[in-house]
Amino acid sequence: MDSQIKKLSELMASKQISCVELTQKYIDAIENENNKINAYVNQTPDAAIEAAKRVDEKIASGETLLPLEGIPMTLKDNISTKGIETTCCSNILKNYYPIYNATVWETLKRQNAVLLGKTNMDEFAMGSSSETSCFGGALNPHDFSRVAGGSSGGVASAVGGNLAVYGLGSDTGGSIRQPASFCGLVGLKPTYGAVSRFGLIAYASSFDQIGPITTNVEDTALVYDAISVYDDKDSTCRGRVNEPVCKSLKNSIKGMKIGIAKEYFDGIRDDVNSAVQNAIKIYESLGAEIVYFDMPSLKYSLPVYYILACAEASSNLGRYDGIRYGYKTPHYSDRDEMVCKTRSEGFGKEVKRRILLGTYVLSAGYYDAYYKKAQNLRGTLVNAFDDAFTKCDTILAPTVPMTAFPLNFTAKDAVETYLTDICTVPVNIAGLPAVSIPCGFDNAGLPIGMQLIGNRFCESTILNAAYQYENAVGEKAFKSANMGVNLS
Amino acid sequence: MVTHEEILKIAKLAKLSVKEEELDELTKDMNEIIEFANTISKVGSDNSDFDNINNLSNAFREDVVVPSYDREEILKNAESRDDGYFLVKKRA
Repeated sequence: MDSQIKKLSELMASKQISCVELTQKYIDAIENENNKINAYVNQTPDAAIEAAKRVDEKIASGETLLPLEGIPMTLKDNISTKGIETTCCSNILKNYYPIYNATVWETLKRQNAVLLGKTNMDEFAMGSSSETSCFGGALNPHDFSRVAGGSSGGVASAVGGNLAVYGLGSDTGGSIRQPASFCGLVGLKPTYGAVSRFGLIAYASSFDQIGPITTNVEDTALVYDAISVYDDKDSTCRGRVNEPVCKSLKNSIKGMKIGIAKEYFDGIRDDVNSAVQNAIKIYESLGAEIVYFDMPSLKYSLPVYYILACAEASSNLGRYDGIRYGYKTPHYSDRDEMVCKTRSEGFGKEVKRRILLGTYVLSAGYYDAYYKKAQNLRGTLVNAFDDAFTKCDTILAPTVPMTAFPLNFTAKDAVETYLTDICTVPVNIAGLPAVSIPCGFDNAGLPIGMQLIGNRFCESTILNAAYQYENAVGEKAFKSANMGVNLS
Repeated sequence: MVTHEEILKIAKLAKLSVKEEELDELTKDMNEIIEFANTISKVGSDNSDFDNINNLSNAFREDVVVPSYDREEILKNAESRDDGYFLVKKRA
């Protein structure tokens, strides 16, 4: 898979297409086809054309374009955009217009990135199917009867449906990697602290991280290099502490140690398992060394994640009181009732459920048994990964135990739905980077994904390994959905 | 087992109201989720230090005064405002 971003950039620089023409193609495609997949919840064509005109002026004056300049893209609707409605796909934030840009968008905007609009997601990023969105779910561009995944389902739906070249999502427990896997795309969850969270509307602050969803590994590397910068507005953000990942993307992986932890394969579907086993063979043929080990503590990941993420969410979402922004209930007698009714009417079911669980595990009498124990086990999991990375350079695992589920699947059983996150949450618990890449298809032709997990700030290692796999397999692992802008 | 009363108490703490007809389903869901969370409550742990899970150091900046946001801009997002203030009804 060649870089689409580079290809488009070259076409613009050589004046084979203007940025306005390119942008208009996407605007038209969104206008005509977004109703098929519900990827965009807010379109920004005027601002997109304005940015495209600036790019065309730059080309006309002979200036060199920056890597992401003029490339039509999208942002998940929990990334703040000044003057552009940002709702987190929640009724409680409808009509909220941020007065500042998230740092990631400020950075890309300075490069004249062309924002086509904001994309669908699970309400407050809480979900695995985007169906908890107050706008209804985003659909899978490969099969409209299935979900795009979540919570960054709209980004994956838009990029997979050729309605954007790339997009930024956020990943708290798998919300970039899982939809990327379901839609046959590349999705990177960076190291905690590599990308600024300023302006990302918080779900669980010690887990949240912004990252790209693209059609190929090189595009992910280009976007990651652009957004991994130090930001004095986020005290946990150090930026990219190493060389740009693009520099080492095409290095040989001969001798690279790829770790396989058997716990990642417990209970995954056979076709997903065999796709990942085939990938292991390809890595062996590329000269990588496969190392097998156990990580028994992985079995605690899901309860640890749900306890801690919900605890953080219950605190973070305390700010929605109807006073300063967002929805406010029209009928109330005093302030307490106003806050209570505003929150009860504004939040959806899943958000309320998670706030209640978070409040429960933090309440007197339960704190030690749940919250404190989960934090301790978080430390145990961090140590387990530290130990694993003394044996290998990257860990290879399935991204999701299955392929894209049919619509309304997640509505039936909360716990069963949480179990689908089993392979993605460990990385967020330990603050590690992981990239999901396509590695085959199931019998129904739906994409299967696998993830490469790295040590902290070792994005270059996992993207190098991802690139070499993609290069070895070629077009076979990728299928373009039959919709949107055709760039070939 | 979490009871209806406990759900109502937690909801009050979280400033959420739970309707009578939602209570059964919510209690059932919460019990399933808590049962699932219970899988770790009996596990022994090595009491790992969790103060700094990612071995990150804070990225400090110099304490320099910079312009803040415009008050009018901020107030535009509020449903009720008056004379540069957010408007909140008095407690009854």
